[in-house]
Amino acid sequence: MSTFLSQIANGLMFGSLIALIAIGYTMVYGIITLINFAHGEIFMVGAYGGLATLTYWVPTAVVAQWYFALPIALVAGALVAMLVAIAMERFAYRPLRNAPRLAPLITALGVSVALQEAVRVFYPGATAAIPFPPLFLDGAFVIPIGDGVVIRYTGVLLIVVSLALAFALERFVERTRLGRAMRATSQDRDVARLMGIDPDRVIVLTFAIGGALAGVAGVLYGSYLNNINIDMGFQNGIFAFTAAVLGGIGNIRGAVVGGLVIGLVRALGGQYLPGGTAYDYVWIFVVLIIVLVFRPQGFFGESERVRA
Amino acid sequence: MSTTIDPPVATTAPPVQHTGRFGAVLNAVAPFAKIGMIVGGVLSVLGAFLPWVTFVLNEGAYPERASLNMFVEPFGVSGFRLHITLLGIAAIVIALLTVPAKHRIVRGLGIGVAAVALLNGIWITVEGGGLGAITAADGTIAFGAIVALIGGLVTVLAATSGGLEARPEWEWELPWWVEWILLLVIFALVLLLVAEVLTSGGQGGVVNPYAGVVFLSLLAALSGALSALSASGLLTWVGVVSERHRVFSVVVLLLCALALPFTGAGTEYWMTVASNIGVYAATAIGLNIVVGLAGLLDLGYVAFLGIGAFTAANLSGAAASAVGIHLPFLLVMVISAVVAGIFGAIVGSPTLRVRGDYLAIVTLAFGEIFVRSAQNNIAGLTGGANAIPNIPPVGVGGFQFNDSITIGALRLPSGVMYYVAIVLLVAFVMLVFGNLKNSRLGRAWIAIREDEDAASAMGIRTGPIKILAFLIGAMLAGLAGAFFAHKTAVVAYDSFRFLESVTLLAAVILGGMGTIPGAVLGASILFVLPEKLREFADYRLLLFGLALILIMRFRPQGIIADKHRKAELADDDPEDVAREGPGALPTEVK
Repeated sequence: MSTFLSQIANGLMFGSLIALIAIGYTMVYGIITLINFAHGEIFMVGAYGGLATLTYWVPTAVVAQWYFALPIALVAGALVAMLVAIAMERFAYRPLRNAPRLAPLITALGVSVALQEAVRVFYPGATAAIPFPPLFLDGAFVIPIGDGVVIRYTGVLLIVVSLALAFALERFVERTRLGRAMRATSQDRDVARLMGIDPDRVIVLTFAIGGALAGVAGVLYGSYLNNINIDMGFQNGIFAFTAAVLGGIGNIRGAVVGGLVIGLVRALGGQYLPGGTAYDYVWIFVVLIIVLVFRPQGFFGESERVRA
Repeated sequence: MSTTIDPPVATTAPPVQHTGRFGAVLNAVAPFAKIGMIVGGVLSVLGAFLPWVTFVLNEGAYPERASLNMFVEPFGVSGFRLHITLLGIAAIVIALLTVPAKHRIVRGLGIGVAAVALLNGIWITVEGGGLGAITAADGTIAFGAIVALIGGLVTVLAATSGGLEARPEWEWELPWWVEWILLLVIFALVLLLVAEVLTSGGQGGVVNPYAGVVFLSLLAALSGALSALSASGLLTWVGVVSERHRVFSVVVLLLCALALPFTGAGTEYWMTVASNIGVYAATAIGLNIVVGLAGLLDLGYVAFLGIGAFTAANLSGAAASAVGIHLPFLLVMVISAVVAGIFGAIVGSPTLRVRGDYLAIVTLAFGEIFVRSAQNNIAGLTGGANAIPNIPPVGVGGFQFNDSITIGALRLPSGVMYYVAIVLLVAFVMLVFGNLKNSRLGRAWIAIREDEDAASAMGIRTGPIKILAFLIGAMLAGLAGAFFAHKTAVVAYDSFRFLESVTLLAAVILGGMGTIPGAVLGASILFVLPEKLREFADYRLLLFGLALILIMRFRPQGIIADKHRKAELADDDPEDVAREGPGALPTEVK
């Protein structure tokens, strides 16, 4: 029983992280129907940006205090990731806005490879995993069930921050003028333009928000696992995309639920399904294939939109 | 002999009005276009003969063949100096002559000069320790790079200002035997050129501080010359002629490919590289069926190569294989192809319900599942992290394919038999692709690619036909995989990761989707470049990623554009639409 509960907790922690990344995927796909493969790398760049800030630009005395280090790292990671995302949109995707569908997808793959390699080549020591400082109280609750279910404070932080940001974002999209502009652009870009919305601005905004959330996720990931590497972007990016599809693409609440489901599948599949943790990724992809084949609109998808 | 266009004469042609960002500059230069081209050419030649640099690299001695030839022979003309000189002289001559499309030709030459000068200049600056290396050393001024670069740029500017003409279309028809001889000579030249490109900068494998830049410089000069040739319309004409003698051309090309071991590239190293290129070329052609013809994006394609390789490895009698039998190679190839084909059909089956981007993700998921399973040594078939080593080489009787061959006084390097085998395999795969493309099935694929609903309405049973695309593509990859297993003698899951799928896709797109030579060309470029640019090995993938972005931005239809694809991909390029004509699209189902 305690193993089961521990795995549930682990799954929720990992899942809320995936959810944060998935929001970026789902928003970008919702607006320009592009699978932004490079979004996972934005998450990775955010983690490295946060780490660089803590390592090189902030005095160690400040880093030692978590209540300074955590906000600094989060903001720095979000900023770096956001800037990279905006630059990516401007220089890689915008010139292809009216190109056939295959072109931006290949470009996204190119951006993904280039970003990953740029970090590997230019970040000192990035050829191997780099230790990441803990940014939060080091310790854990122990829930006295069975042998005890250990829940680390960092994990709780992860869940709280992710859900809070997702909630805030959903309010933003539902309640503000800009949010309404985003929804309008995602429904019909040309009509939105007629209504006085500048689609380019909205698209940049979408990339910026998605990038910032991914940056936050990157820093939280580093703080949770205590080390980061350049491969983290691709794997988690694919999971996040899976989550976005599971939840119904274009739907923020769906992305969060999808992320949590992915986390649970990974944790419980690794524990209970044959093959153990060596195959936990496989189960995620199996779920992805099944959902895409049998319910391509996802849990929360509205009507099935034809995507050529 | 006649041409379809009037020979434009620069002096009598009406002045061209330039618009766009540099319109004003171009209009100002336009009256001096001819003089400008000549001046540019003269500057290029002058620059080539000026001293370029007078230092010796800190690391590494002056190597025998790879030279920035100014150390011992300050006035010797070879290597990049020769290239710049030739391009410059050609620019002057063509500027003086009355040639159709001469501005476009000269522009190509100028780009070549500028690229060569820029590459060598940058390299000298970076390796030689700053700008001082270009400008002054030993008390003498060494600004050859700058003069040649200016020469190249002046040429380009003047040529562009003169107005770029449309490519002329030549309709010469010569007696058949003259055309045969011509084709023979041209293909032989191509063979020599390929060998020269491969061996430029010294034989591979040797660490040579000059190799990378010498190679790039040769490529730049070649692309300048080729773009000039293409501007003159001669390349298109050769294409038309070889199309007229299709069978002859194919046979000669095949012979040329088989003759590569007899050229300077006939070393064990290059035979191995060429065999690997062949494996990826065959796989890329398979992918070309799925992506290029049927328009189904597959992001996990390399898994089929892997399935073929692991199947062959298990049937090869290798000690580590789970199945302890040793079958003849040809049978193994067939079995590998069939197994890969079955998996292809399985992976393809979601196409019945899933389209577009979602299909790409499904295939990616299948690819990742394959890698994960192989990594974990699923059912003991893949060896996991230990791989399956010591796969015996292919042998016929007592002869092993990795032995070297001696014919009289000629000793061919080991691995040459593998090279011959892969050339034949690629030829076979190309044959399959070419026939399929023009068959009823191929037309059905193209119809599905263009518009699935319309194809369905026309009575095409889209479901089975899409699965067939996956099945056949996967079988071709499986064939290549069986070969791969025996050639490299070790099969590890590591060779079949996502990045390999992306590289294959990039090869197909770079070469030109849906075309037969495209995939081979793309695979060759993508797998030769890393071999030649070992000194940039750290930046290899970074450059690869950037190259993908740039290709999609500037030439999404690839080097060899398929007619359909071109129409589909370049719909916002008025130049192409004008050239193709609006009516050319639906009728060209060929």
